[in-house]
Amino acid sequence: MIEAQHLTKRYGTTVAVDEASFAVRPGRVTGFLGPNGAGKSTTMRMILGLDTPSSGSVLVNGKPYRDLTDPLRSVGALLDAKAIVGGRSAASHLAWLADSNGIARRRVTEVLGMVGLSDVAGKRIGTFSLGMNQRLGIAAALLGDPETLMFDEPINGLDPDGIVWIRNLMKSLAAQGRTVFLSSHLMSEMAQTADHLLVIARGRIIADASTDEFVNRNSTASVRVRALQPADLAAALTRRGALVERCPDGAMIVTGLDSAAIGAVASADDITLLELAVHGASLEEAFFELTRDETDYHAGQLTGTSQGA
Amino acid sequence: MSATTRIRTPARPVQAASRTLKTRILKAHILKAEWTKLRTLPSTWRTAALTLVLGIGFSVAVALSQMSQWHTMTAQQHQVFDPASASMSGVMIAAVVLGTLAVRTVTAEYSTGMIRSTFSAMPARPLVLAAKAATTAAFAFPVTLLGNLAGFELGQRIFASRHVAVTIGHPGVLRALFFGALAVSLVAVIGVGIGGLIRHTAGAATTLALIIIGGLTVGQFLPAGWRQYLPGIATQAAVTVHRSAGLLRPGTALVVLAVYAVIALGAAALRVARRDA
Repeated sequence: MIEAQHLTKRYGTTVAVDEASFAVRPGRVTGFLGPNGAGKSTTMRMILGLDTPSSGSVLVNGKPYRDLTDPLRSVGALLDAKAIVGGRSAASHLAWLADSNGIARRRVTEVLGMVGLSDVAGKRIGTFSLGMNQRLGIAAALLGDPETLMFDEPINGLDPDGIVWIRNLMKSLAAQGRTVFLSSHLMSEMAQTADHLLVIARGRIIADASTDEFVNRNSTASVRVRALQPADLAAALTRRGALVERCPDGAMIVTGLDSAAIGAVASADDITLLELAVHGASLEEAFFELTRDETDYHAGQLTGTSQGA
Repeated sequence: MSATTRIRTPARPVQAASRTLKTRILKAHILKAEWTKLRTLPSTWRTAALTLVLGIGFSVAVALSQMSQWHTMTAQQHQVFDPASASMSGVMIAAVVLGTLAVRTVTAEYSTGMIRSTFSAMPARPLVLAAKAATTAAFAFPVTLLGNLAGFELGQRIFASRHVAVTIGHPGVLRALFFGALAVSLVAVIGVGIGGLIRHTAGAATTLALIIIGGLTVGQFLPAGWRQYLPGIATQAAVTVHRSAGLLRPGTALVVLAVYAVIALGAAALRVARRDA
């Protein structure tokens, strides 16, 4: 459980995090979504007691992080997988972490097995790929078997197998009743992993809702239809208040009526449907809709198939 | 109500006792973690080997050069010749190389960003710096002692040619061996302090080297009374047997180094605790 109250961080005149109040609850994966530079990492550093808030407060399991005894047993965090001295072996890196919180050394072997690094336990971290570093960082987060887990952009540098693995891991950790807090700027990834979303832009929390609710509230679902008699169908749908947009390939994008209603209209007018596909509202659309006025750039510049890393 | 009172009264000392116990466990954990860090880094052991090779080599070179100049030295210079310190010049090499190792225990973590893992695992930042100082000092001590001992033994064989060699049982020799190692341990503590204050490896390592070796060059321009208080000159004084002009007494030299160590580590602890990691 993580609770922030009016959490604020200023650097000079720049406000990195602005009066953020939120709660990250156990038993679900909470996604922390926002463009790069929105304040995600700063918020996470304040949660871990690394950066001191300019004002406001944040508690982990009811206490300021710095007051936790053996913090790794309460909170496991992966901030930056590359932020590691490369000369040690993976096992040695986890060994000092274990020692620092009085965790038994056998746990090191266990977590290395959990993340699939048993075979390279004795290898220098400096020789690791980014994906292996991410796995090591996740092993470090799991070391103290903590109730709360926090990951900053954990899928960066992972291959598709790794992404699926991490997605399942997050879900299973949440299913065990743990608090899982995961930041990303990759919205499609969040749509598949997070149950709940905290959306941050320019340091402000602009949405705190379940993923489904967020998508439904902030975007419009549409239906793609192709018919043997497109003109007739378009006229019939427009009469019933739908918005019809003709595509160059002859299909139509219909908003304002759901697929069942469109099917009923077609059948009533004896129109043959060739295609009827619900174009689900995506998190991307919802996100851009919501952050159009909030991001540092114009929405027009941001809108695209991918936002980039 | 009397039951409540009865339970409450002894509860306070118990709480206080459990707090001190908690603090003691915390310190033990931090110390163990920092020792694990130090010993699992292969460069730590390479640095120790480098200290011995360079340090012993330097001690032997200085001893040989002293003997080759023996006939040009005055009778008075022969009189004050200190066979212990003349065979332990490597202590300066140990101070620089092991001091740099101490600097790197802090700066390597800042430059990679691993300091955030360290401070998330151990939020008591001043204790982390103290543990780094304690572990590098404890590591520097036996390495320097070994180097000094080897330098001394080899040096005495060289000095035997002029019949000015002494044995390890000679008054003051054992003290010189141990004080030399203690001096380098204190330089390691200074190194951790400089690392915490400067945070960049290059800048911090250069600063440390200047503090140790710079005293030999820049120090020439200082009045002798001031010069002897420079950390590098104090380190030299620690390995002397005879009292020599321009150098502090060995014990005083260690006290001076300890004062520098406390100042550097204290300033670093304050700074590291306050700033964002």
